[in-house]
Amino acid sequence: MQNPISSISNFKKFLKKILLPYFLLSVLIGFVFNLFFEKNIILGSYSSGAYKINRIINSNNKNEIAFFGSSRAERSFIPDSLVKDGFNYGMVGTAADVLMFCLREECKKKNKTVPIVFAFDLNGLNYGVGDISNFLYNSDYPPIRKLLGTDYKYIYNVPFLKYYGHFEIYTKYYLNNIISLTKLNNKGGAIEKNELTKANFDELVKLRLAGNTEFHNDPKLLADFLNIVDENKNRKFILVAPPYHRSVFAGFTNLNKAEEFLNSLKLHKNIVVLDFSQLPYPDKYFFDTSHLNLAGAVEFNHLLRDSLAHYIN
Amino acid sequence: MLFNSIEFLYFFIVVTTLFFVLPYKVRWILLLAASCFFYMFFKPVYILILAFTIFIDYFAGIFIEQEEDRKKKKIYLIASLVANIGVLAIFKYYNFLNFNLTFVTGFFHLRNPIPYLNILLPIGLSFHTFQAMSYTLEVYYGRQKAEHHFGIYALYVMFYPQLVAGPIERPQNILPQFHQKQHFSIENAQLGLNLIAIGLFKKIVVADRLGLYVDQLYANINNANSISTVLAVIFYTIQIYCDFSGYSDIARGTAKFMGFDLMLNFNFPLLSKSVSEYWRRWHISLSTWFNDYLYTPIVINRRDWGKLSVVFGLFITFLISGLWHGAAWTFIAWGILHSIALTYEFLTRKTRSKIGKKVPVFLNNFLSWLFTLSFVSFTLIFFRSDSFGKAQMVIQKILHFNFSLNLVQLCLEKGPLNLILTFLSLFLWGLIKVPDKNSGYSRNVLFLVTITFLIIILGRNAESNFIYFQF
Repeated sequence: MQNPISSISNFKKFLKKILLPYFLLSVLIGFVFNLFFEKNIILGSYSSGAYKINRIINSNNKNEIAFFGSSRAERSFIPDSLVKDGFNYGMVGTAADVLMFCLREECKKKNKTVPIVFAFDLNGLNYGVGDISNFLYNSDYPPIRKLLGTDYKYIYNVPFLKYYGHFEIYTKYYLNNIISLTKLNNKGGAIEKNELTKANFDELVKLRLAGNTEFHNDPKLLADFLNIVDENKNRKFILVAPPYHRSVFAGFTNLNKAEEFLNSLKLHKNIVVLDFSQLPYPDKYFFDTSHLNLAGAVEFNHLLRDSLAHYIN
Repeated sequence: MLFNSIEFLYFFIVVTTLFFVLPYKVRWILLLAASCFFYMFFKPVYILILAFTIFIDYFAGIFIEQEEDRKKKKIYLIASLVANIGVLAIFKYYNFLNFNLTFVTGFFHLRNPIPYLNILLPIGLSFHTFQAMSYTLEVYYGRQKAEHHFGIYALYVMFYPQLVAGPIERPQNILPQFHQKQHFSIENAQLGLNLIAIGLFKKIVVADRLGLYVDQLYANINNANSISTVLAVIFYTIQIYCDFSGYSDIARGTAKFMGFDLMLNFNFPLLSKSVSEYWRRWHISLSTWFNDYLYTPIVINRRDWGKLSVVFGLFITFLISGLWHGAAWTFIAWGILHSIALTYEFLTRKTRSKIGKKVPVFLNNFLSWLFTLSFVSFTLIFFRSDSFGKAQMVIQKILHFNFSLNLVQLCLEKGPLNLILTFLSLFLWGLIKVPDKNSGYSRNVLFLVTITFLIIILGRNAESNFIYFQF
């Protein structure tokens, strides 16, 4: 049986031989890995949300036409098919609050007068920051902290550890960027190459028909948007509503409200509304009921290019 | 409080430090208070259930020991068992029995007047109830002296590392340890940390990642094909093993750090070459519990039935084992399937041994392992499914023999990288070797650093519940 003195000396030995080397080695490896991962993987993929957020904050290319929005933007806009110098900032799972953040960041760029294009979802103005991994690299940027609100955690201040649970998503974007196995990548646009089976697609249509789609207008977000528009009269805001599968409209409870909303925006001089939401595209152009597939996106971009040409030199 | 949460890390550091700082005489108070806090983190009011059974069993133990009349001893034992099983019956089986009663009365066009209870199952109820019953049974059989220190007895039932999911300890193993002085030992600390690390790796990296694939498939079985369904069935077998044995490792590691030895709960069960071997290696603390307190008494009492006593004993034991896991017919089906397999193995032992001798050893071992793993995986379809309908759909998907290579069907929603990482986590798990007590300090440090990085980089930040918590 040990005595208390040997217990203390054992603890000192444990600190010296195990805990201290463990912490030192962990910090060292963590620091090196963090540097490598951030530089090469997170910022090495044009289509990742983290890269896009970093780009919208830091890049200042005055000729770049920015395309904003959710996954419907990411999967609908192929920048090289649409404009000479464009970038698709669409991010999966994000809603209007992230769009407002992006618009505000874009409008901060001095000497930039080119139009801004953004995709509009018929479910209206809602809140949703999407995947938190999009914001971790720039988590110390005050507007990001404000955007995340209560979702902000203290761990986001700790390098390397803040990425716990998110390494997969960064790697996924990075690999997609390199090998384009499941997506076609073009300047931030990531168009789905995969196809669902017919049974799977029919199941989604059935679900869509059974559920209700609803337009929702958040007054605070709308006021925010109109403020941005009014404060930046030198910029044109082009709102594009990409096509939906027809099943979406069968279950839409207040489509008239969405149409009224779009018509009200048209009254603003520097807002252009291009509504393609009800284009009668066949099933073969859709990945699911809200997103186009590669063939659909190519077809849609032909059409959109001509429309945008009126507003973009 | 989950072992795989940041709160537990703080809890572990504070409790373990205080444990070694405080004088020996008050350590039991610290451990008991910590255990209460740990349990109350889930649903505070349920501590009263534990208090009730602890109170009953504490006095039952003393009365059984003091009483010389065999009949009275039995009455005290029965009172204790009724209290424990009664709590289980109310919280775990009441609604299940009532549901079945409604079904039967409905069959005769009658209305079941008994109302349903709107209650949550207390976490780990089956585990601590069985541990408590083990105490009174051991005292009754005269193999264990009654514990007269109420605090130590309460700690025996509530010791936080094994409170909610075992191992289901025996009083002979753990009670004496609570009376011993524990000093800080670098060997215990090393072994404890290594066990915690490998347990967390199994849970966060392997089980949770496999679970992602399994959950996607079970949630959307209509869109799966035969390949993805077979993969999910095998993945679930590994998931449940890593999830549960991961928990046991963390429990044993946490206890070991403070100098307490909990029993080994898993001994590489997925390498078993027969179902009976599987049950000697899987959830050892429960299978030995059933063996000691249910199966053996049944077989001994019915020994005049010959081989039939074993068959009967197996059937009853696994029927109850199924029910122990969950109040649903799918768990009962799982238990009965295992009893059938064990009966088959028992009745054909000699024949199989003769055939085995004619086949090359390697081939015999390989086929035995493959059949066992396939059987165990098949039975787990019932374990994982929330209804017979779902289990039937999974089996039908396998039997459709649809081997299309559609990427969405194969990789499911999360895509190919998730599937690649799933295989990578399995591969890494196979490579990892936990250092033993003879390994040097540097080997231990390297192991801990490697596991830490694998968890951070490959782990799922889900803080998901352990599967066995629901039992």
